[in-house]
Amino acid sequence: MKDIQEPVYLEDKLKEIEQSGKLAYRSQTLPTWCPGCGYFSIVEGVSKAMTELDLKQEETVCVSGIGCASRFPFFMNTYGFHSLHGRALPVATGIKIANDDLTVVVLGGDGDAFAIGGAHIPHAARRNVDITYVVFDNGVYGLTKGQTSPTSVLGFKTTTTPYLNMDEPLNPLMMLLSYGASWVGQAYAGEPHHLTDMIKQAIAHRGFSYLHVLSPCVTFDKTSKTYQNLGMAVRPLPATHDASNFAAAMAAAQEIDLPQLGVYFARERPTLCDGLTEITARAQGGSAGQRAAAG
Amino acid sequence: MTSNAKTDIQIAICGSAGDGTIAAGDILKQAMAKAGYNVIAFDVYPPEIRGFGKCVARARITSEQVYSLKGKSDCLISLDDSHAIPHVRELRKYGAAIYEDTPMSDMAEGMHISGHLEPGHLPYGVPMREMSERITSSGRSRNIVAVGYLAGLYDMPAAVFHEVIGEKFARKSPELGASVRSAFDAGFEAGAGSFRLHFDRIGAPGSAGRHVDLIMMSGNQALVRGCLDAGIDTFFGYPITPATTIMEMLAREMPKHGGRLLQTEDEISAISAAIGASYAGARAATATSGPGLALMSEMMGLGAMAEVPMVAFVSQRGGPSTGMPTKTEQSDLNLAVYGVAGDGQRIVLAPTNVEGCWKCAGKAFEMAERYQTPVIVLLDLYLSNRYEAVELPDENPFASDCSKWAERDSRARPYSRYRITDDGVSPRAIPGNPGNMHTVTGLEHNEQGRPNDQPATHQEMSAKRHRKLLPALHHPGITIEKRFGDAGKVDVGILGWGSTFGEILEAMFEAHKLGVSCAAMKVVMLSPLPVDPINAFMDDCDAVLVPELNYEGQFAALVTGATGRAVNRLNRVTGTPMNVHDIVTEICRLAGRTDSIAAE
Repeated sequence: MKDIQEPVYLEDKLKEIEQSGKLAYRSQTLPTWCPGCGYFSIVEGVSKAMTELDLKQEETVCVSGIGCASRFPFFMNTYGFHSLHGRALPVATGIKIANDDLTVVVLGGDGDAFAIGGAHIPHAARRNVDITYVVFDNGVYGLTKGQTSPTSVLGFKTTTTPYLNMDEPLNPLMMLLSYGASWVGQAYAGEPHHLTDMIKQAIAHRGFSYLHVLSPCVTFDKTSKTYQNLGMAVRPLPATHDASNFAAAMAAAQEIDLPQLGVYFARERPTLCDGLTEITARAQGGSAGQRAAAG
Repeated sequence: MTSNAKTDIQIAICGSAGDGTIAAGDILKQAMAKAGYNVIAFDVYPPEIRGFGKCVARARITSEQVYSLKGKSDCLISLDDSHAIPHVRELRKYGAAIYEDTPMSDMAEGMHISGHLEPGHLPYGVPMREMSERITSSGRSRNIVAVGYLAGLYDMPAAVFHEVIGEKFARKSPELGASVRSAFDAGFEAGAGSFRLHFDRIGAPGSAGRHVDLIMMSGNQALVRGCLDAGIDTFFGYPITPATTIMEMLAREMPKHGGRLLQTEDEISAISAAIGASYAGARAATATSGPGLALMSEMMGLGAMAEVPMVAFVSQRGGPSTGMPTKTEQSDLNLAVYGVAGDGQRIVLAPTNVEGCWKCAGKAFEMAERYQTPVIVLLDLYLSNRYEAVELPDENPFASDCSKWAERDSRARPYSRYRITDDGVSPRAIPGNPGNMHTVTGLEHNEQGRPNDQPATHQEMSAKRHRKLLPALHHPGITIEKRFGDAGKVDVGILGWGSTFGEILEAMFEAHKLGVSCAAMKVVMLSPLPVDPINAFMDDCDAVLVPELNYEGQFAALVTGATGRAVNRLNRVTGTPMNVHDIVTEICRLAGRTDSIAAE
């Protein structure tokens, strides 16, 4: 049971929100999500994380594809690129290569990421592009009004699977781990404080960070990934989980029916832009390593 | 050593993959350019990596500027008779055929080229293999012996060949270079000592002085030079024939100037990264062929709608679909000009020669930035791989920043990325500029960039996006259309685009010799199309001919669609450059001069 809390007055809460600074990151455009959508937690989490990391709005770019989740950049007061279905990762890679001082956050849904966008994930991950990829997984295509996605459960009934879904869903966490992502974590929209902390860690990580966020679609999924079902299924990763142990991360990632929340895997390795900088150094005579050694 | 007669000699070297056909042609053209001649050269390759496919290296060596290869060659060198025999018809009357006269084993009847030469052909049998083995202990320098023989036969200056061979092997293996040089000398001596008719000598190089600065460049090389001169910052590409060498050359050069290049996982990723980099303010480009452009079409639409600069170099090849990867064609015009979902007009430039590749490449970056739109530069395999002796100016003619920038930090007034202005171009901001945060999108949007599908919005924004492209027709420093030949009224006018324009010019000169009044117009900007100059040209012509290397008459349809006037079409899809004689025949037919069609 949670502790009984003191009553919260609206005026005080509004003042607190204003003073927190997180509203600076929100644009004046109202979100186009349904009331109750898990994505409201995510936009709140991203705003808070950016505040706590003290990111400059003009040096932050939110990149998305197409879908309910991909509407995200319009609700943020940062630079944004609402690109094409499945193509957010290569667009973000181009932005980062052009100016690696920018903080680039990529956002999208499970369809945008794993159906049409699936071919781009291995390459963004293995190259360790220094961006943060937040995927909002609600196991359904919401914007087109309720079709299966690559993460829909077996037996899910939708407009294109009236005789029930026969396709086994894929396992995003195992995929991202096997593609070499240098930071992999999972969070849940129904646990917003933990979510905010995960977003903060993901952005802070130097390299390709993948944050998988379980999030109910209250309009098109009344049976599968609901707040009720997810609320009962999610649990934290054990305190003993070693995020530097790849095999442990893969083992934990297989628990797809009882999703564990937290940082699965994290390690430091050179980023894509580190490599490009090294290439420039080689082309201009002598590697960065040699030059650094020479002082 | 050289006579005063004008030079116009075309050599075709035919061999099997692995015979060193292309290398021989390379040495020949580099040497002749060094000697001060104009050279146009084009090689034909098979699509496979291994095997015994046919390779043909052709070089036309002239004292005056010319614009295409000739339909007939003056000399045919056979390194493999089975491949060369079909090309005997290409050899003109009294042309020279150089071939192996000591085959390794007995040959079946009809397999040796000597049995296929026509009356009038001058046969020069050379024991190439024997000479190569004697001089270099291997048969692999047969091709060099053949080039040496050719040089001796035509009284070409041996010194330039020595220089080119020396440079070619200087880094890798000077001993091999010396051995190759000996093979050349042996062939040269044999050639110089053989009987030849008096007109089989190379004439003088062209007007002196000017040509000292000419360098041999292919279309792709010139394009790369244009990118570097324009200060390209980032390049993303996926290998595809015939555009791969663009990426390869940029991969070596760009890092030297601090540029960044990435080979992506596919063409969609390449164009996506290019648009991302452009959005962030970098000069970005990609290069591909027809099939790749087809994959990129959705992104082209995004570039048009979101008004983000993009540059794509597209070198056309035989289509449709995988088509003929190593053969030339001009069948992607429709895709370049129209290929997008919705009204996504963009700028399309199509150079007609190697120097044009350089100019259009650099100007593409200027235009993409200035008009905030995708720009496609359309070449073809022939132009990409065609070598011409060109002279590029020392001064860099490309502007390094053509953007219309928003005021920095317009916090006082909310920034509207898509503000409707008189010229249609909205002031632009990029990540890093304080106070000008905005989201670009492929959705229809209002001036602030917020999604908006109201009737008036889409109507006004569509008008804005189209109106802003019209000033490209007058973009400084580039010729987007030009008329050649007879001024005023003419019997026949030829409208052409791309590499075919070289053949068109040659055909026009032939028509003039036959007394037909004839003019030609090249159109370099295909979108937006310079309709007024085209109409003015068509007003002067009794008949208009549009020769192009595609089946459906794509440029003809573009012109007819824009002007409402019919044209005569000449379409060829042979995978080879247009035949000059075919164009001449059509010109004469349209001029009512069937009597005047010269024998080929």
